[in-house]
Amino acid sequence: MTNEAVRLTGLTKRFGEVTAVDGLELTIRRGEVVALLGPNGAGKSTTIDMLLGLQRPDSGEVRLFGDAPTKAIARGAVGALMQSGGLLPDLTAGETVRLAAALQRNPRPVDEVLERAGVAEFAGQRVAGLSGGQQQRIRFAMALVVNPDLLVLDEPTTGMDVETRRAFWASMREETARGRTVLFATHYLEEADDYADRIVLLRAGRVIADGSGAQIKAAVSGRTIRASVPGADLARLAALPGVERAEARGETVLLHCDDSDAALRALLAATDARDIEVTSRNLEDAFIALTAAGSIQ
Amino acid sequence: MNVTYMRLEAVRLFRNKRVVIFSTLMPALLVLIIGGVSVGGDADAKKYVMVSMALFGAMTAAISSGGTIAVERGLGWNRTLRLTPLSPAAYVLNKVLLALLVGVLPVLITFIVGAVGLHVRLSPAEWVLCFIGAWLASLPFAALGVVIGYLAKPDSVQQVSALINLTLAAFGGLWVPVNLMPDTLQYIAKLTPSYWTGQVARSPLDHGHIDGQAIAVLAGWTVALALVALRRFRVDTARA
Repeated sequence: MTNEAVRLTGLTKRFGEVTAVDGLELTIRRGEVVALLGPNGAGKSTTIDMLLGLQRPDSGEVRLFGDAPTKAIARGAVGALMQSGGLLPDLTAGETVRLAAALQRNPRPVDEVLERAGVAEFAGQRVAGLSGGQQQRIRFAMALVVNPDLLVLDEPTTGMDVETRRAFWASMREETARGRTVLFATHYLEEADDYADRIVLLRAGRVIADGSGAQIKAAVSGRTIRASVPGADLARLAALPGVERAEARGETVLLHCDDSDAALRALLAATDARDIEVTSRNLEDAFIALTAAGSIQ
Repeated sequence: MNVTYMRLEAVRLFRNKRVVIFSTLMPALLVLIIGGVSVGGDADAKKYVMVSMALFGAMTAAISSGGTIAVERGLGWNRTLRLTPLSPAAYVLNKVLLALLVGVLPVLITFIVGAVGLHVRLSPAEWVLCFIGAWLASLPFAALGVVIGYLAKPDSVQQVSALINLTLAAFGGLWVPVNLMPDTLQYIAKLTPSYWTGQVARSPLDHGHIDGQAIAVLAGWTVALALVALRRFRVDTARA
């Protein structure tokens, strides 16, 4: 039996002129909890669609436990939670999960799953009258009831309030403690860092970084100093303590820092810098920095 | 076949008030209105009306079942199902089986209304044959429902189904006997499946057995519509 839960090779998908997924390579071992992290439009959902066999790749291949996705799904090896839709408004929450269980070969007991996913309290209500967060819990229950080896979650906490989000991840932790393989897509670094063993950063349909939460956070952390520096000498600015990289945008310079405090002291001492702003790097900046710096492995 | 899945599918269909009204309540009411008032004291006409309305109910239920495919595609439910071991072929087969299953109810109710309300009297063999005829003759409409389910938009599927259903019902002689229609319409009627459906359901009243030619034509229609449904279904799943 293969030790690989997921293997994506050269996965590519184009929509007209746009290449949504661009030669993606990814291997996930059994038991890993992996976050697919990226901004909107990075190709996360398209990747997951192809991984689950909902979309056909233009080229490349998907293997789940060594099989094509439809085969792995038919065997009951895969449970998935998709982002939106996919529910019937005229069924109750409980009936929906019961239906999902009935279609599986080896489902978990429905009542246990309703409890675990937090659906039990509104199991008797029609889906049409439930909130987005409640519907998301139904989708979660439908994924769990499969009793899968691989759990795939596409932005699972979308539409959930803070409290529900916390409860969701708490029950996810119990699930992953059982040794399931989990792949979830998110655009929150914090979520990825808190719940994944491994973070795969996606940008423009490619893997730009792949490492532990600590590694990714190091790449993402740091601050940027923005200042007007008349007659700036970029090479000299880049050499200031605490500065990793300097770039100029007209009169304005951007100093990407690993220690912005030291950099700021040095900057004020050495130049006539004014209109200074210090901002922490967000995910989007991190992507740009990572793309510029090349991938960390 | 998956019993839980079928049961919940049937529950959903009957939660749709429109389906219940048009497939069951309306035919039952029409039996009373047309059969009880319009045709006067003509016993044969009452039988004709009762069997025709049973057929109309079964047709409506059958088309509605396939029509739910359009709504489910709009909701992304077909994506959800593709994440389960249920194969797409089993999905469509379930819709057809469901169509037959839910078709029993309108036939049963219109027959009861006919027997109790209009005092229709048939021999036991006629009851059984008319029941089977009206019920199973809805099979091509189950296939037609699947075709509509794959072609229609989710928000217009009910109107499209209703229009097709009423038109076909007219050609089946369900409102007015076909032999009272002008020659051209009679000719057109024979080109539709519903004319033969009407023949299958009502032939026991005239001959004491189900018309073999009508069965053959209907079987042909069922196969033809099933092939179209299969083609639409393949196109839809391949698009993925």
